[in-house]
Amino acid sequence: MKNIRLLSRVVLKESIRRKDFYVLFVVTAVITLVMGSVNLFHDNQIVRYLKEICLLLIWISTVVIAITMAARQIPAERESRTIFPLLAKPITRTEVLLGKFFGCWIAVAAALAVFYIFFGLMAMTKEHHWPLTNYFQAIWLHWVMLGVVIAMSLLGSLLFSAVSANVTISFVVVAFILMLGRHLDKVALQVGEPARSLLEALFFVLPHLEFFDVRDLVIHDWPAIHWLVCVKATAYGFAYGAFFLVAACLCFRRRPLN
Amino acid sequence: MAAKTVESPERNRPAHVGELVLPLLLVGGFCLATDLSQWFQSWPGNRTASANLIAVALGDAGHLFANHFFVKADAYFHSGFYPSIYDNRQSFQTPHIAEDSGAMKGQNSGDETRFLAPPRNWIEAFGREFYPSVHTHLSEGGADGEEGVGTVREILPWLKLSAELDPKRVQTYIVTAYWLRRMDKPDESKQVLREGLKENPGNPQLLFDLGRLFLETQHNPVGARKVWEAGLRNLDSLPLADKTNVQNRFSQEQILAALANLEIQAGNTNRVLDLLHQLKEVTTTPVAVEKWINDYKSGKR
Amino acid sequence: MPIMFQNDSQKQSGNDTEDVLRVEHLCVEFRSREIRQETKVAVKDLSFRVGRGEVFGFLGPNGAGKTTTMNVLLGFVNATSGEAYLFGQNVREPIARQRIGYLPELTYYYKFLNAEELLRFYAGIFRIPRNEVERRLDSVLKLVELEHARKRLIKTYSKGMQQRVGLAQALINNPDLLVLDEPTSGLDPVGRMKVRAIIQRLKNEGKTIFFSSHELGEVETICDRVVILHEGELKEEGSVKGLVDKYQCNLEQVFLKVIGFQPEQL
Repeated sequence: MKNIRLLSRVVLKESIRRKDFYVLFVVTAVITLVMGSVNLFHDNQIVRYLKEICLLLIWISTVVIAITMAARQIPAERESRTIFPLLAKPITRTEVLLGKFFGCWIAVAAALAVFYIFFGLMAMTKEHHWPLTNYFQAIWLHWVMLGVVIAMSLLGSLLFSAVSANVTISFVVVAFILMLGRHLDKVALQVGEPARSLLEALFFVLPHLEFFDVRDLVIHDWPAIHWLVCVKATAYGFAYGAFFLVAACLCFRRRPLN
Repeated sequence: MAAKTVESPERNRPAHVGELVLPLLLVGGFCLATDLSQWFQSWPGNRTASANLIAVALGDAGHLFANHFFVKADAYFHSGFYPSIYDNRQSFQTPHIAEDSGAMKGQNSGDETRFLAPPRNWIEAFGREFYPSVHTHLSEGGADGEEGVGTVREILPWLKLSAELDPKRVQTYIVTAYWLRRMDKPDESKQVLREGLKENPGNPQLLFDLGRLFLETQHNPVGARKVWEAGLRNLDSLPLADKTNVQNRFSQEQILAALANLEIQAGNTNRVLDLLHQLKEVTTTPVAVEKWINDYKSGKR
Repeated sequence: MPIMFQNDSQKQSGNDTEDVLRVEHLCVEFRSREIRQETKVAVKDLSFRVGRGEVFGFLGPNGAGKTTTMNVLLGFVNATSGEAYLFGQNVREPIARQRIGYLPELTYYYKFLNAEELLRFYAGIFRIPRNEVERRLDSVLKLVELEHARKRLIKTYSKGMQQRVGLAQALINNPDLLVLDEPTSGLDPVGRMKVRAIIQRLKNEGKTIFFSSHELGEVETICDRVVILHEGELKEEGSVKGLVDKYQCNLEQVFLKVIGFQPEQL
């Protein structure tokens, strides 16, 4: 466990010293503030469109951060050859992979905290109330989802030789799941065999990342989700994250590093 | 003995071909630009004449986006509870924000709450916990149960954006003006209708709504009469094909009925009968109008 | 003054004749993913031992299998057959690397860290106690003359400085076995002299050093024993003095004879 903690700290340091996160945060903040300054029929209480734009930018930014950070961890170590002095130490490849995962996940958590604090402050200036429970659930579920995405990208980094290929495929898969995952079974009903069976199988197999997307509930001030539902979603996310990580560990263990 | 200098063969070429070609190309370019610019100004695809940056950037795709944001406003009206393109949309064919405002004729059927069929599997059932799955209207309390129509304000940004993207779409202005009126914002409502008239001069629907605003909110029957009569004049000046289309017919019907009511209150009997007879010729319910005429003559209305 | 610390709790008081490194019938084959490509045999039935306190030279021309063998010893590559042991532990076990220090030929380290952070990170992996870490940090940084640059990011270092950071990380755990892959490669004469001096000092302290090099002159000076590989096979093994006496020439010429190189080929 100590090795995993040490390695995750190194990943966190790298993410803080790189500039990607800061640029995305500034872009999100600037766009949100510009959109918020628009005069809409002299009514300064209109806020939901702003919440939607801000949350959309947060989601895009954090998915970008998660995928690009995770996708380059192992390939960058190999290309820069830093993996050799690392693995020459008493550390297993599984610890290396888990260290990378937790480092990315914690870095993304820090990014989420900053983004959502900005979102909360922005919403509060217009709404004059702060539904902390809803925001906490939104952040938590978002973070769990990004854990699944990071694990998936780490696996992809071991399956695909080029980082760019892994990043592109990861983005496409995540976007596909978020936009269409919920509707696949309905689409399946409208096509013939064998496409129907394939789509239905895909519907049950792929990780339903849209479970973690509660933006509509936050935007439209719906009550918070029941805690048991939240716990079940978390367990679902952890299960898929663990699956991708185990697969990644098995791939990494067998891979020659010369 | 001095060494013999070997001359570079390049120095023996006719001097400076490049320096001659470059000015020639420039002159040729200018001549071509002058010749083409006249043609470009008259080309139908020329969008630079428009001062609207969005129109220039998006072109005809603006109509698609405008419709998308109009529907998004309806989704906001329902606090996010809205069918996707894969769901049964029979009860959402006409956006409810438009149907309620009278801007569009309703084509909805079926129960609004039933587009989400019973879940087919546990994933679908579980997934419904994470998005809005209860039918509400913002004008009736919305998700948070706030009384009054205050939260309807949340649909306004999308309506404004829709109007910017497709200024020729009259329904957007009418719906926006309607909800602003419901929110006790008559000045803003009037401003929206005026913007719509700027983009769609003389549009009878917009003129009807403007007149209604003058009468109901500002208690200004003179202004209402002026605007409605302007609407009727514009309708009369239209080509026959346009005059007889469904929407214009409906607008004419609305204006004539509203003017008739106005003249009834003012006590201008001849004008009332004239208007009612005109209404009877264009209405889809001439029997009802005939009854109205008879009732008026007998003093019942 | 000894480089490292005498009372190191990680030390095992073992038999002086214990083999630090033992390779038994090691074979490494690489199968190409492409169809109709032959399997490449990088190492064929290699066996040798390295005793405690030896300075052992691992020699061979390019492509002989030296790096592949080292990769197996360090766990980067799995052997197709055969076994290798470090301090009696199979090299596949991470614990086998607890007492070794490795300096790769191409030294690249995390550019976003400074030297102190890097060494602290590696010290943590070795489970060096906290009260010990500071002392070792100061000691190795002083040894490699990087004290003045310990807080600078590694991406600002010159090649020589990066090589020295590499040496520092190889020594941070006071290893019993140092594995050096071409330690003087790319260094200027002053740098090479310094590295040779460090190796000599470590030897004097009783450390075991296993290194590969193409600088046969310095191998002849420093090493106790050598093996010579060629085309994946062990061609010659023995003490430097023994080989020089056997072939009646210097080590470079021994090397050329063993690999079958004829000067007339030039």
